[in-house]
Amino acid sequence: MKNPYQPIEAVIEEIIQETPTIRTFVLKPKELIEFKTGQFVELSFPGVGEAPFTPSSNPNIKERLDLTIMNVGRLTQFLHTLSKDTILGIRGPYGNGYPIEEFEGKEILIVGGGVGLAPLRSLILALFSKLEKYKKIFLCYGARTPKDLLYKDQILQWQKKIGVRITVDTGDESWKGNVGLVTSILKDLPLKMDNAVAVVCGPPIMMKFTTLRLLELGFKPKDIYLSMEKNMSCGLGKCGHCRMGKYYVCRDGPVFCFEEIKDIHDIWE
Amino acid sequence: MEEVIYYLTQENGLRFLNLLEKEYQIYLPQIIGEKGIFCDFGYDLPKTDFRLVKYASSKISDFTLNPYRSIEPLKIFYTLPKEKLNLLDKEERIAILGVKNCDLYSLKIQDYVFLGGEVTDPFYAQRRENTLIVSGDCSAFKEVCFCLALEINPFPEEGFDINFSFLDSGFLVEVGSEKGEKIINDGKDIFSLATTEQISERDKKRREIVKNLNEHIKLHSIPPKNNLQKIVKDGFGSAIWKEEALRCVECGGCNFSCDTCHCFLLSEDRFGNAHERVRLWDACLYANFAKVAGGANPLRYRYQRLRNRYLKKFDFFPENIGLIACCGCGRCIEVCPAKIDIRKILRELSIE
Ligand SMILES: Cc1cc2nc3c(=O)[nH]c(=O)nc-3n(C[C@H](O)[C@H](O)[C@H](O)COP(=O)(O)OP(=O)(O)OC[C@H]3O[C@@H](n4cnc5c(N)ncnc54)[C@H](O)[C@@H]3O)c2cc1C
Ligand code: SF4
Ligand code: SF4
Ligand code: FES
Repeated sequence: MKNPYQPIEAVIEEIIQETPTIRTFVLKPKELIEFKTGQFVELSFPGVGEAPFTPSSNPNIKERLDLTIMNVGRLTQFLHTLSKDTILGIRGPYGNGYPIEEFEGKEILIVGGGVGLAPLRSLILALFSKLEKYKKIFLCYGARTPKDLLYKDQILQWQKKIGVRITVDTGDESWKGNVGLVTSILKDLPLKMDNAVAVVCGPPIMMKFTTLRLLELGFKPKDIYLSMEKNMSCGLGKCGHCRMGKYYVCRDGPVFCFEEIKDIHDIWE
Repeated sequence: MEEVIYYLTQENGLRFLNLLEKEYQIYLPQIIGEKGIFCDFGYDLPKTDFRLVKYASSKISDFTLNPYRSIEPLKIFYTLPKEKLNLLDKEERIAILGVKNCDLYSLKIQDYVFLGGEVTDPFYAQRRENTLIVSGDCSAFKEVCFCLALEINPFPEEGFDINFSFLDSGFLVEVGSEKGEKIINDGKDIFSLATTEQISERDKKRREIVKNLNEHIKLHSIPPKNNLQKIVKDGFGSAIWKEEALRCVECGGCNFSCDTCHCFLLSEDRFGNAHERVRLWDACLYANFAKVAGGANPLRYRYQRLRNRYLKKFDFFPENIGLIACCGCGRCIEVCPAKIDIRKILRELSIE
């Protein structure tokens, strides 16, 4: 029987410095890892640790798997010291991913905060491959400062196909765009809320206020999709760490619609 | 399978062990001394504990029959407190004697976790496969036992390979699986068919312990099983969590000694030059159990963690598999240095 806890090897093919604290690691796993956009993997380095990350690359491009990782603690700090050709451990994919089939024929609002744009990039790229199936795609993205904005060049490319609004919490001399939290750009949206879904990913506090704002705008709880971040160890629905109400986030999520979780206590903590 | 009940004399008990020994490493209950537990309500309760240890036939006098459950939870035979995730040597087959019905109930929970879902845990599956469970009726109970409050009988009815009931003289032996049947067939000559009188003696003993245990449990006013999920959910904002958690020292004893608690942490250990995956039992009473990077922690406070344990047992599991993840074994009550008592918490929640 296969050992589900054992990672396979993946070599770092390229490292892209996205922001001062965020790098994208382009990985080539020894065996093909096919994932659905929004699913996650467990990445490890022997003797340092293991943590969940969501691929930020196009799920249809099977040869490469990008993880966009923010330096926040023990493992991620270590990952940021590594160079090309280092071998990491990877297992997965796990979880449900985004139900993109259900988005067909609808308008899609995508709201990202900080490194939360990583899984959303994968979603956007997946949507691009069937662009004609969706009525409209609109991205609202916020980061702390202009320096913290992810995928700047790519966003410029995306702007040719989809609506994009960007904001930063604090600007600098060169910044001419909007200043304010991401909720401040969630107004006068060129969307028909009765046929729109919203997909949100970011830090818990951002997800909370974004959800409240979206409800005010007339989104129904069942049309707001959230990526929940909980402590995870196994990713397989066994270790018990990621429980949220009657769900295991790793198994039943990480993507939930707000309708499913709105009555659970303390979801934003 | 045909329902057949056998009779085994006291003297043939040893021959049964010899039979088992041919195929299995046996674990048997051993007394571990007087603990001086007494019941506040006047019941004269036994003062001894039992643990399940490796049996060597030369030392049979060290072993005994346990009238109630062992100190360690049965799960310890299936997932170890800390283990390298390697498959076992195929030959390692064990027979566990002295398993009680609370333990068998808990195995349903552990099975759901480790055998159920999209991925089967191969280590657990292998141990489960290689283990023969020889359970027994309870002939006494501990002060902390409250299985009956959860509608779990103090005698096994399913989930065992072989079950023993203790008569005044000898045993009744019931077969619950093909694995069990094979053992009995191998030793046909030491078993005889049970008589109707012997079966009524067993049933009488069972009724007796049910009656006594029910009286004992009544004194604790544990709410009815079917209300527990609602009581625990509705008690989310209750003051009891904070009151009780004040004394908790975060030892994790309640989690580790619990028959149904299953949470674990994947980690690594250095073995020579290599790092290998290990799995450790984890405890939701520990401060970092739910912490995520950046410092967010939905179980930041001790009272949240204490409450989490109850929500997991009385809400998550009923929602997912229709079973409460508590078997009433009382191990968490016994082990807790803070004297946090699950019976009291359930009672107080039901009063509110
Ligand atoms: C489904 C999912 C997808 C994620 N995707 C991304 C992503 O694409 N990019 C990104 O930068 N970050 C992502 N994260 C967050 C990322 O997992 C954490 O930043 C990472 O675990 C931090 O590890 P650390 O050792 O550097 O942090 P530390 O703060 O030093 O350690 C955190 C400790 O908690 C444990 N832990 C378990 N689960 C988590 C968790 N969810 N968050 C934090 N710690 C956890 C870690 O194993 C570690 O022991 C995701 C989290 C989840 C749950
Ligand atoms: S919660 Fe306590 S009484 Fe219930 S199964 Fe666990 S240890 Fe036994
Ligand atoms: S056994 Fe008692 S003191 Fe120890 S963690 Fe559990 S509740 Fe806290
Ligand atoms: S991460 Fe182990 S159960 Fe979800």
